[in-house]
Amino acid sequence: MNENYDTPKCESLVETVKKSLRTSDSIGIERCIQCGACTSSCPAARYSDYNPRNVMKRVKEDDWSVIEDKTIWNCFYCYTCNLRCPRNNSPSQVAQVLRQMAINKGIGIERLSVLFEYPESFAKLGISQIPAPYIGQMEEDLGKHWQHFRDNLEDIREELGLDPLTIEDERGEIKTLLKGIGFEDRFARLKEMATEEGEDE
Amino acid sequence: MKELVDVPVKGLLLFKSCLVSAEYPGIESSTKYVFDRLGVDYLVSGEQSCCTGMGHYFDLFDQMTTTAIAARNFAVAKKEGYTNITTMCATCYAINKKACSLLNNNRQVINLVNDNAKDSGLANLKYEADSFDDVENFYHVVEVLAKMADRIGDLSIINFAGVKMAAHHACHYYKIDYEDVAGNPEHPELIDHIAKACGGDVVEWYEDRTLTCGAGFSQRYVNREMSLKATHAKLESLKRAGVQLVLHMCPNCQVQYDRYQPVIEKEFGEEYDMVHMNIAQFTALALGGDPLRVCGFQTHSVDLTDFLENL
Repeated sequence: MNENYDTPKCESLVETVKKSLRTSDSIGIERCIQCGACTSSCPAARYSDYNPRNVMKRVKEDDWSVIEDKTIWNCFYCYTCNLRCPRNNSPSQVAQVLRQMAINKGIGIERLSVLFEYPESFAKLGISQIPAPYIGQMEEDLGKHWQHFRDNLEDIREELGLDPLTIEDERGEIKTLLKGIGFEDRFARLKEMATEEGEDE
Repeated sequence: MKELVDVPVKGLLLFKSCLVSAEYPGIESSTKYVFDRLGVDYLVSGEQSCCTGMGHYFDLFDQMTTTAIAARNFAVAKKEGYTNITTMCATCYAINKKACSLLNNNRQVINLVNDNAKDSGLANLKYEADSFDDVENFYHVVEVLAKMADRIGDLSIINFAGVKMAAHHACHYYKIDYEDVAGNPEHPELIDHIAKACGGDVVEWYEDRTLTCGAGFSQRYVNREMSLKATHAKLESLKRAGVQLVLHMCPNCQVQYDRYQPVIEKEFGEEYDMVHMNIAQFTALALGGDPLRVCGFQTHSVDLTDFLENL
């Protein structure tokens, strides 16, 4: 499992954030002046208790309990904070690292497991699809028209002069790369965690 | 800042997107139609895979995996000789740029990605440092269209005068790599330029112009209520401005607006007289493309029949 590149083992939260592959090299977490530009333009702060300004404060104070804070899962990853921050910090990137650290501890797995079909279809077809557990909800939301269109997708694509969905990968390069780079192990571990969690309930 | 004059019109790898392919294939056929009409030199490769972006922002894929997949797609582009990677999706754009930057600047990443390719018997996928530039080799289709806005206006056969339209510039285009945006990232106007060139009555500022569409990757699925609240706010803001047509540049945003507008009408008790399309679909339509066989409007959830009849 190569998740250590997203969450390298470090003494402090600030150092973990700075060394994570998920964040930019120039990330200004230490330069944060608590101005609140992030929170004031954050859609998650508008509709939930998520407060990126406060999350940045806790990261700087090395408060590891922030990893277990449920509100970090409300970030939309819209990067509005990334655009607005006057100190080149990126709460959106920091939230990604915190979530990966949470996942390492088995937190939030129920949010991931419902999306498991996504990497599975990617490995198989080289293209990703809407995760199966949500198809039912979407059929209910979007009605017969959407169902009909999905059932006839390949025909519609042909009418539009487009090739079939599945990519040309006769050598199975995608699967081979996913295995070698450690994703297959990572995904197996995530599945294991999801099963364990299911048994605990 | 990127200058539109520097946006290439040759050697473009039109980068396929998972959500365009599966939800709005008309965006791809429209882009091809418009590129053909404008004489843009591009290629679509059957070997190119999805960028992993959705899975990456679902927190499922790690950065190293996403980068290894990107390196394979760069190898495809190089092999085909079409090295200006031009995306229809804002997330594909940002994902590829970040992967390129990591491969060029982080020795550990390039070594791991290349060693993995070699050890897997795929040495042909090896990435050579600096063979792609994270600014000069990556573009969004909207940049190509904005560069050619005047010609698009000249070729347009539809009179959009009196049609109130507004742009939703996708977050992952202008808020991630904001230094590379063509124009002011606090007020991107690429879509507005094209719409104006075609004579549209463009509403430049509506209250929530820079608010996210609300998709939020996993939020749409796992945190549906919060996701739809954001979309509702945006639709309300557009309604107050009297907008009839919203123009998009990202299929994820388009799913959120077009697919969920009827859901929001039902759940929030609203009514919207508003349709959605991608800027490439709009341009194809303006240039005379067939609404079904080129623009692919039949896959939309908000019916465009009345809107099209009134043009």
